[in-house]
Amino acid sequence: MGTSDKTPRPWLTAVLVVCALAGAVRAQPVLRWGADPSGGAPYVYTDPSNPEQYVGYEKEMVDALARAMNRRAELVPTDWETIVSALQRGTFDIIVNGLEPTADRAQQISFSKPYYLFQLQLTVRAQDDRIKSLADCRGRLVGTLANTAASRLLESERMAYRGYADPVGAYRDLELGRIDAVLMDVPMEMFYARPNPRLKPAGAPFHKGVYVIGLRKGDEALRAEVDAAIDAIMRDGTLERILRKWNLWNDAQNELRPAPPAAGQTAPVPGPEAVRYDLTATSFNWAKATSRLTRAALFTVALSLGAMVIALSFGLLLAVGQAKGPNWLRGLCTVYVEFFRGTPVLVQLLFLYFGLPTVGVALPGWLTALIGLGLNYAAYESQVYRAALEAVPRGQWEVAYSLGMSPLLAFRRIILPQALRIALPPMTNDFVSLFKDTSVAFAISVWELATAYRELANASGEFLLMGVIVSAFYLAMSLPMARLARRLETRLQRKQAAQLAVAEVAA
Amino acid sequence: MIRVENLEKRAGETLLLRGVSFTVAARSVLGVIGSSGSGKTTLLRCLNGLERINGGTIRCNGAHLEAALTDAEYRRRVKDLRRHIGMVFQQPNLFPHLTVLGNVIEAPVHVLRSSRKEAEARALELLESVGLKEAAHRYPEYLSGGEQQRVAIARALAMNPQVLLFDEPTSALDPRRSADIRALLRRFVERGHTMVIVSHQLSFLEGLATHLLYMEGGVAVEHGEWEKVVLAPRDGRTQSFLQHALEERRQSA
Repeated sequence: MGTSDKTPRPWLTAVLVVCALAGAVRAQPVLRWGADPSGGAPYVYTDPSNPEQYVGYEKEMVDALARAMNRRAELVPTDWETIVSALQRGTFDIIVNGLEPTADRAQQISFSKPYYLFQLQLTVRAQDDRIKSLADCRGRLVGTLANTAASRLLESERMAYRGYADPVGAYRDLELGRIDAVLMDVPMEMFYARPNPRLKPAGAPFHKGVYVIGLRKGDEALRAEVDAAIDAIMRDGTLERILRKWNLWNDAQNELRPAPPAAGQTAPVPGPEAVRYDLTATSFNWAKATSRLTRAALFTVALSLGAMVIALSFGLLLAVGQAKGPNWLRGLCTVYVEFFRGTPVLVQLLFLYFGLPTVGVALPGWLTALIGLGLNYAAYESQVYRAALEAVPRGQWEVAYSLGMSPLLAFRRIILPQALRIALPPMTNDFVSLFKDTSVAFAISVWELATAYRELANASGEFLLMGVIVSAFYLAMSLPMARLARRLETRLQRKQAAQLAVAEVAA
Repeated sequence: MIRVENLEKRAGETLLLRGVSFTVAARSVLGVIGSSGSGKTTLLRCLNGLERINGGTIRCNGAHLEAALTDAEYRRRVKDLRRHIGMVFQQPNLFPHLTVLGNVIEAPVHVLRSSRKEAEARALELLESVGLKEAAHRYPEYLSGGEQQRVAIARALAMNPQVLLFDEPTSALDPRRSADIRALLRRFVERGHTMVIVSHQLSFLEGLATHLLYMEGGVAVEHGEWEKVVLAPRDGRTQSFLQHALEERRQSA
């Protein structure tokens, strides 16, 4: 009887087991974690040997944490600069990206207990003997990642630094001599600088800090769960194994290891006092932010004006070459125009900034932006010139010739001034576009208005307010220009109408 | 002053001018007449180097154009030729970005390299002679078509050409303004200017031209002194054209 109860229906058991398993899989909650995998080694980055997947010590750590939490980890790739806002928006549940607990972030999000103790390392060019410590960098330009412990340290030391979006760019610029030193967390230095024979560490690592996991404020249950999981993988040695595998282990990490629970005692709940290594407590300084924005705006205006001057002069040469040059020159000009109009200006800037150094031309960022935008807009302006030159009646050339003028004189004195008047309204419009297009320069770490917006908004968390201010800066420039373009346009139309009327009366 | 021999001009396969020969003596005025498409304007453009000739020769004072020259040499000689020959087009084609005075002094200052002061004094004289001295500092867009054409004439005269070519100078104007221009040209005749005037109206040329060239189909049909051609045309084609012209005049009168 007892055996007959179980044995007759083995299929039922199987079905039940499958259902239970399926239910468990479906019920296993997802742990969505945000990180910036671009240039993110060794934290989390695209596996070079298999670009379909991500690797990194934090990737392995989150997988271990998720296992301890009985969850399924899912990476949401995001952008470092906007990572805190993305967490607040609910794009993911936690930040695991070498995040340091800082006072300004503490106002926006809450933190787990620390899982890694890091230090900063200064790197210089291999042949550089001037810089041995951070103090030697005074009066020189130091590169680092924007909005990190290193950048805040430099800021509090009042030292000139340039913020990069990823470590690759910073170390590359160091190699190229665009900056004098790079200050970065040891894990990144280990991965990106140490293997490079042209770079060397300057002095020993210094300035302790910790990495924590970022959570939304009020997500207390998840925070407790995460802290417990961190304790668990520390206690059972999983974290140490992962760190050793990535060559990131050092004895200092033992400081973070939780005390073994005494009999009948639970581990103390880590409170805010667990955040012991807050590097600086820079609260957001609005006066300073406004002055930085103003400087960024002035730079943006200067950049657009300079690029427009290049575009107007080079564009004229292109237009004349395309209209009057020998066949090979015409072809060349056409190829140039089509190339620069047919590819995105962002790609052109990246090419100039990162591509040209491989053939030995390493221009600083601002010059790259100036030349890149100038060359790009020259293609557009050449077509404005061409249309304007074609709009000048042929009779003007003939009269000039019949008065004994040479083609060059006729062009300079008679045709060009008329063409410029016709071209002025579209050129003014293009200038407004160029002014706005300067924002792509943030891709090559040029500190213009859009870069300023991202950095300051991230630092303050005030995306809305900062956005309004930055937009006001843009509009203050572009609106009057657009108005001017419209006025020039109507004036030209009136003139043409008047001329037409005279011609009709005459006929 | 001008000697044209066997002039030929082609556009692709089409023969625009063929075997055209004539002379213009100093202080004489040649009227070129013919219906539209007869080649009058093309002839004038060849005389001014705006079209390259395909056969024959053009001589004017020392300048000498012929078809066989290299491009560079042709351009050089056209430059010479233009020192002697000025041209007024059907449309005034004033430079809209310059004042009336600026229009007139532009070429003297930049081509002849006269001083600005000298050029302005001369320009004001010329503008006075065409009755537009007060308009010197206005822009062309504020002038009537007739006034614009008078400025164009002053502009051409400012280069001191020995011969002045006119291509239908009044066809873009109403009859009253047309009469103004004609009166102006009449004064030039009295002053002994050498001119070539292209027109399709016999009446416009009457009293101006000392000689007449009748063109048809790119050929110079008849050329001679005004009275001889008008009163006793030898060619049938000239006769029928003149007859038409006279009849029209009688009807309109």
